[in-house]
Amino acid sequence: MNYLKSHITLILALVSILLSIFLFRIFNKILFLYEKNIVNNYSIVIVSTSKIENLNYPEIEKITPIDIKDQIQRLQQKYKNIDFSKIDLPYFYKLTLKKLPSPKKLEKLKERLKQKAFVKRILTHSSSQTKIYNLLMLLKILTKMFMVIVGVLGFLLIVKQLEVWKLSHSERMYIMELFGAPFWLKGAALFKIAILDSLIAIILTVSFVYFITNSFLFTKIISDLNIILQIDYIKEFLLLLVISFSISLISSIIVVVSKK
Amino acid sequence: MNLVKANNLTLAYNSGVIIKESTFTINEGDFVFLTGVSGSGKTTLIKAMYGEIKPKGLLQIGPYNMGTISKSKLTKLRRHMGIVFQDYKLIPEWNILRNVMLPLFIKGYDKKIAEQKALEVLKKVKLSHKIDKFPAELSGGEQQRAAIARAIIHSPAIILADEPISGLDEYSASLVMDLFIMANKMGITVLIASHSLPGDFNISYKHLHIEKGKIYELS
Repeated sequence: MNYLKSHITLILALVSILLSIFLFRIFNKILFLYEKNIVNNYSIVIVSTSKIENLNYPEIEKITPIDIKDQIQRLQQKYKNIDFSKIDLPYFYKLTLKKLPSPKKLEKLKERLKQKAFVKRILTHSSSQTKIYNLLMLLKILTKMFMVIVGVLGFLLIVKQLEVWKLSHSERMYIMELFGAPFWLKGAALFKIAILDSLIAIILTVSFVYFITNSFLFTKIISDLNIILQIDYIKEFLLLLVISFSISLISSIIVVVSKK
Repeated sequence: MNLVKANNLTLAYNSGVIIKESTFTINEGDFVFLTGVSGSGKTTLIKAMYGEIKPKGLLQIGPYNMGTISKSKLTKLRRHMGIVFQDYKLIPEWNILRNVMLPLFIKGYDKKIAEQKALEVLKKVKLSHKIDKFPAELSGGEQQRAAIARAIIHSPAIILADEPISGLDEYSASLVMDLFIMANKMGITVLIASHSLPGDFNISYKHLHIEKGKIYELS
């Protein structure tokens, strides 16, 4: 029980920090893939009086001519008295963007396109695009806020743990110092606790993460979003391991160094 | 040869000067009694000798000037000292055997050799039967003997003992003094801070006395 009491604070703090980091990374990845999906499906349509080869705009990924033969045929069948082949029809193009623009940037792009003399009309579907953009931004802000809040809570728990450690280890460290103990020996007990707690925190976090990311609900959401999410568990494990060890070892070093 | 050399030594806290402009020496192998009334500065002098307080003037321990000694050199110097405190300062969460082994851990001894040596020393201080006990489970006299065992196990150059027998019963006090004599016979310089000199003491010793902030060497 005593063992649990003396370890639970650091383990809890580490788990909350590691989870927040992992979830932040996963959310960001999901948002990135989802945004990419939206960008791939989103395009601006422009109607031009002349052929366009290249627009040389940094935000434009590619420009593709829209084939309107089918539409013309349909129109021709409907309005037989008009000969569409004799009409000088404009050119239609689909502009694919590199990333999802903000409503402001979209408006600017529209203005720049309008300034081109050959551009007759621009269709941006800005209303639905703005909604999606705002939703994505909201999600990004929420994930950042989530990470900051959990991170701060974890940090506060660690600060509390530092105080507890200072109280419970200071006497032993002082006595050892009086007999000329080197730094590593003075802090040996703390370093052992730090390493052990880090390992426990890592096992708990990775188990939780594995359970969540393989749960039915999570996989269904990912599939519904129409994205392929690949998690490199070994890479994530190593990253969390480094973070966990760094936090706990730095905390224990602070206690050994700050001992008066 | 001088092991401790003090010249115009002044020791002070923020609250005031405790020892002023005192001069004395302690030679290698000396047995020294440092006497003085309560609050005269005995503990302050011992603290200065193990580097807890920075002195003004000269206080030299071996090759080190305690006024200018660096932290790393102080750490090294302390490995050649054995300190005995009035309140024992045993590590409460360690058993007696481990407490006694501490200086050897610090010196990097192998655990088995350290344990062997600790058992030998604990036999000398008559605590062989208490090696698994924790400090709180021992009497004051037993804790002080364990503290002395810890102070002598690594054959230090000097033992600094701050009122080691105050509060001990007659049997424990006599046993503790015998241990210091034994350490001194092994060639260790011993400095004992005490209110007064012991009644019957049959080896030669040096007497330092503190009065009104001054340290006097008495014959």
